[in-house]
Amino acid sequence: MSTLDIKDVRKSYAHIEVIHGITLNIKDGEFVALVGPSGCGKSTLLRMIAGLEEVTEGDIMIGDRVVTDLPPKARDIAMVFQNYALYPHMTVRENMGFALKQSRTPKAEIRQRVDDAARILGLETLLDRKPRALSGGQRQRVAMGRAIVRNPNVFLFDEPLSNLDAKLRVQMRSEIKELHQRLGTTTVYVTHDQIEAMTLADRVVVMNGGVIEQEGPPLELYDSPKSVFVAAFIGSPPMNFLEGNVENGDTLRLDDGTALQLPVADPQGRARLTIGFRPEHLELAESGWPVTVSVVEATGSETQITARLAGHLIRILIRGRTDVKPGQNIHVNVPAELIHMFDPAPIPDVALEDDH
Amino acid sequence: MTGIVEARPRRRRRAGAFSHGARIAGAVFISLLFLFPVFWMVLTSFKEQADIFTTPPKLFFDATLSTYTEYFSRAHIPQRLINTVIVSTGAGIFSIAVGTLSGYALARIRLRGAATFGVLILMSRGVPPIALAVPMFLVARKFGLMDKHITLILAYCTFLIPYVMWLMRSFFVSLPKELEESAMMDGCSRFGAFFKIIVPISMPGILSTLIFSIILAWEELLFALVLTSRDAVTIPVAIAGIAGDTETGANWAALTAVGTITVIPVVIFALLVQKWLIQGLADGATKG
Repeated sequence: MSTLDIKDVRKSYAHIEVIHGITLNIKDGEFVALVGPSGCGKSTLLRMIAGLEEVTEGDIMIGDRVVTDLPPKARDIAMVFQNYALYPHMTVRENMGFALKQSRTPKAEIRQRVDDAARILGLETLLDRKPRALSGGQRQRVAMGRAIVRNPNVFLFDEPLSNLDAKLRVQMRSEIKELHQRLGTTTVYVTHDQIEAMTLADRVVVMNGGVIEQEGPPLELYDSPKSVFVAAFIGSPPMNFLEGNVENGDTLRLDDGTALQLPVADPQGRARLTIGFRPEHLELAESGWPVTVSVVEATGSETQITARLAGHLIRILIRGRTDVKPGQNIHVNVPAELIHMFDPAPIPDVALEDDH
Repeated sequence: MTGIVEARPRRRRRAGAFSHGARIAGAVFISLLFLFPVFWMVLTSFKEQADIFTTPPKLFFDATLSTYTEYFSRAHIPQRLINTVIVSTGAGIFSIAVGTLSGYALARIRLRGAATFGVLILMSRGVPPIALAVPMFLVARKFGLMDKHITLILAYCTFLIPYVMWLMRSFFVSLPKELEESAMMDGCSRFGAFFKIIVPISMPGILSTLIFSIILAWEELLFALVLTSRDAVTIPVAIAGIAGDTETGANWAALTAVGTITVIPVVIFALLVQKWLIQGLADGATKG
């Protein structure tokens, strides 16, 4: 186990910089999730930590050792790949023991450690099988087993769950969490799924276009996103956004002319503003913003309402049930402390996608 | 209603049976097309000279081994066979060693100009061998390498290496690169990852490529004709020698007898390794 420090790391491919100076200090035993849309540089950063990509500028330190120019094998890092990368010609036991065999660990000890890891992951009965005779979830577990057998300084996970079906993904997610609580190994976990990042990590790092957009504990990112991007990325269903000009301090004039009364004036006094409010923070009320209901989706424990606010689709999430019907005109309110105000920015695709 | 439901699958089955039959017939036809010359060669090799030119051709005749016994020593068959084995396995193994490594480099290592380099090597195969034969002859004579096994091995590598390299390159490209990356994180160098993970996984591909290379080298005539004279002469050259042996026209009995001897080791070899051959051809990637 060890700390992991990334100091102003940059990466260029033939003069095109894709990672623009990232600094990140990860504490011993911390679980950090790198999250962001495809192409944001999260996997490249992970691969630089692993030693699979060269670092163009900056330094990477594991413990107090600078590893920037060391080959992967000298870094004492284990990595779980998206496609598992199990060695197809080896049995599960050989797969898991391969790294120990490379470091010339005595046979008896390899056997012991593989057995221990197999017990933790419930792989005891599969040790003599080849990877092709395993299901997706079992392969995933072997890939993790291969990592934990080594007892490395740092675990790296590169979208390890994205090849699994939804149900298995949830199950493996809690297994990874449990594993981390049990082993306490410093972990960097790359995912594009914000729910994975939120549920697993002690700290979430949101990346966008090769820079860190915001980092912090999951709930801090949820409560106080610093930009439209982070706000759109964190939370499910995603936050609603409206953009317009501020009039008289606390009125937002949308571009189609609709005037909305803001519950609180923008503390920074901007002339143009994007406001954001989460579906679960909207309240149905007697007065407030007028909306027209389009769709009502009840799942029992909660009800999601899709409604039109002056031509903009917004989502409303209500605990329990409601008798609101499609076509009905209702009013909604946002509590003053739960409305977010941002510099105007394009809303990233993630917020426009369906629920994760 | 039920009648229709029942009729449909039956009709489909009949159509399936028909296309299956047609496929079998096609396969038999193509096999005959390719096997008949071989069959005729073997048949002719057991005929007396007089039986060969009868019209219509004789299917039944008094078989004789005399051609075999005569030419076995007269055409120095054992020596030629040994030469051919040495040269073709030597060239096959050498080109596999070089071609597999360079194919891997082309597939995996990002180097400026690597793609151009690869295409250039491939283009070298576009040069007609006859254009290379004379320069090779001159070079070999200059360096005192005439009529030596090593000379033929090197000459064959000129066309085998590009072939092996490109076959292996496409094989390696089909393997996920995370396999080596994983091995490198597990404590291997890139070479270690290549030899411990990639080579074992690629064995079917490597072996089938090796077999093709050996067969290509086995039947090569032109370079062998130009570069050997007595000690290193291979079987195809021996056959060519027999073709020009008589003044009264080709000695078909001898030609076919030596031809049969040439083919037999290749057939035995191919049968021995056919499991690998089919696996290598059918399944390019070994999925994890």
